[in-house]
Amino acid sequence: MSKVNYTSLEANSKGFYGLMGVLAAVILVALGAVYYMEHNGHWVTGMNNQIVWGLPHVFAIFLIVAASGALNVASIGTVFGKAIYKPLGRLSSLLALALLTGGLLVLVLDLGRPDRLIVAMTYYNFKSIFAWNIFLYTGFFGIVAVYIWFMMERKMNKYYKVAGYAAFVWRLILTTGTGSIFGFLVARSAYDAAIMAPLFIALSFSLGMACFILFLMATYKWSEKELGDAILRRLKNVLGIFVAAAFYFVLAYHLTNLYATEHHGFEAFLLTGPSGHTPLFWVGQILIGTVAPLLIFYTKMGESRSAIAVGSALVIIGGFAQFTTIIIGGQAYPMPIFPDYEVISSSFGDAAKYYAYTPSLPEIVLGIGGVAIAILIFVFGCAVLRFLPDSLADKVADPHYKAESSA
Amino acid sequence: MSKKLKTTQQSRRGFLKGVGAAAAAVGASATPVQAVAAITEPKKRYGMLIDTRRCVGCHACSVSCRSENNVPEGKHRSWVEYTEKGTFPNATLHFLPRLCNQCSDPQCVSVCPTNATHIRDDGIITVDADVCIGCKYCIHACPYDARFLNPETGAVDKCDFCLDRLEQGKEPACVATCFNRARIFGDLNDPDSTISRMVASNAVSVLRPGMGTLPNVFYIGLDYADEHDIRFPRQYIRVTTHRDENIRR
Repeated sequence: MSKVNYTSLEANSKGFYGLMGVLAAVILVALGAVYYMEHNGHWVTGMNNQIVWGLPHVFAIFLIVAASGALNVASIGTVFGKAIYKPLGRLSSLLALALLTGGLLVLVLDLGRPDRLIVAMTYYNFKSIFAWNIFLYTGFFGIVAVYIWFMMERKMNKYYKVAGYAAFVWRLILTTGTGSIFGFLVARSAYDAAIMAPLFIALSFSLGMACFILFLMATYKWSEKELGDAILRRLKNVLGIFVAAAFYFVLAYHLTNLYATEHHGFEAFLLTGPSGHTPLFWVGQILIGTVAPLLIFYTKMGESRSAIAVGSALVIIGGFAQFTTIIIGGQAYPMPIFPDYEVISSSFGDAAKYYAYTPSLPEIVLGIGGVAIAILIFVFGCAVLRFLPDSLADKVADPHYKAESSA
Repeated sequence: MSKKLKTTQQSRRGFLKGVGAAAAAVGASATPVQAVAAITEPKKRYGMLIDTRRCVGCHACSVSCRSENNVPEGKHRSWVEYTEKGTFPNATLHFLPRLCNQCSDPQCVSVCPTNATHIRDDGIITVDADVCIGCKYCIHACPYDARFLNPETGAVDKCDFCLDRLEQGKEPACVATCFNRARIFGDLNDPDSTISRMVASNAVSVLRPGMGTLPNVFYIGLDYADEHDIRFPRQYIRVTTHRDENIRR
């Protein structure tokens, strides 16, 4: 393993300006959607009295959870001392900040009163996990910014491990906070589970790693820099473990629910019900997001770069489906005002008995706008500062390179 | 130096004068009995008792609530659910008026990040629309589905027992308009109030008692409005919530 030189992204090419232009256009359209929803009120969204968190929340929570996990690569290098990941620490931290910014902007712009953000930062109820999350998110920005600074500034280099440890602990707490938003909701059958926090942590690991692999591959392909097989193989293997871990928590959650009679209604609704959440769970979350990536990563297919990219994309699609079933599916199932009732027919729908939600176009555009902001920040960051290792060829990045080649 | 001393002496004299005047005023205006009463007088705890046996499902309460509180179309501070049970000739129809339960240990207050939702001294839970950021977390947390995002204000809204009317010494609009007196409103801490006497002398229950939120909206005859009836498993039951906004049919 030789010394790693860092460089910035070439910002003079037409491709760069083209990408920035497209992203800026998407963000502008998203801002237009925000204005439209803000001007006309909640009426124009697909959300209703029962489903109050819609598609923008799915995007926002996906990005926030992925942001926490995107920092994994830096943590594995700094906290666990794995040399092959160390050159990726800067890039991993930048991606974490970019994803978090995108997610938080979507979340804030979907508030009933986004203009009152300052109120949220000046009035606190410390019994509310939401209030805690405001500190956790802003703290994450601060800690990761310092972590990047310490990694990039030679004089501060000796302190970067401390910052890395702090960032590692902080993001675990942050994702615990995000999962607890749902875990603390005792009124609804779908939530009210302590396992939500570790489930979200496992999801953050898998989604963050999947995002990182895709961003890494895209950046190195478009900037025509060398990306070795060794590092991709390792990232892919770690991603597979995270996907399996997330599945383990999903399994534990549903098995526990199936054991408790009071949750049978919700489980029947999600696993066998007539709503769109059932195929979203089985096809989106389990088949596309779990089984297919594991098959790709741990068979011969996993040796191909394009297969690794496809597997990572499938993890992201599956994760999006999972957040949709958690957030929207959890609200779609009516609250049991009368426990143990057996309603043959109801105004919820003669056969279906669930609340419907169809996202409106502005909601979809707002969510996509959050993704565009994350990509824009990442690309802009790579262009203005030296985040990219000049080469990630095996002989540069892999500490076992010589041993392997001589063997 | 002397000027400073003078100022200090003046302010000390002023303070002593103020204390003396205040003590005299207290001594003249309040007897010891009144003072004790002021300390021990129990706080009000407003609540509502709904006698479902008297409700005929006329929706007068829903309409008056909407009119009094300017509730936007498709949203509800108070509503009436219908429950049909069984098949002819053994069929029944029951009504269940619903509203915020003004819980003593409410989850909506716990989860509100900005303290916009809070409990007043009289037990009524209100939302400060100027502090609410519209995060909608409280709507999620409410076990009674009693809250909504007001699309006109962007803040969360719910029943507050018609606070404006209470301050004028009037009953909530739904109580005043109920022609069959199915709704009784009053101070649960006053043992002589109608509501206290009726709660004490009837079999009353609350919605979702297992939530532990200690609702202050009580029901008489709630069993009759319950969709679940163990005597007739798999019998025809239809619940009409009258909150049909965006519901899958």
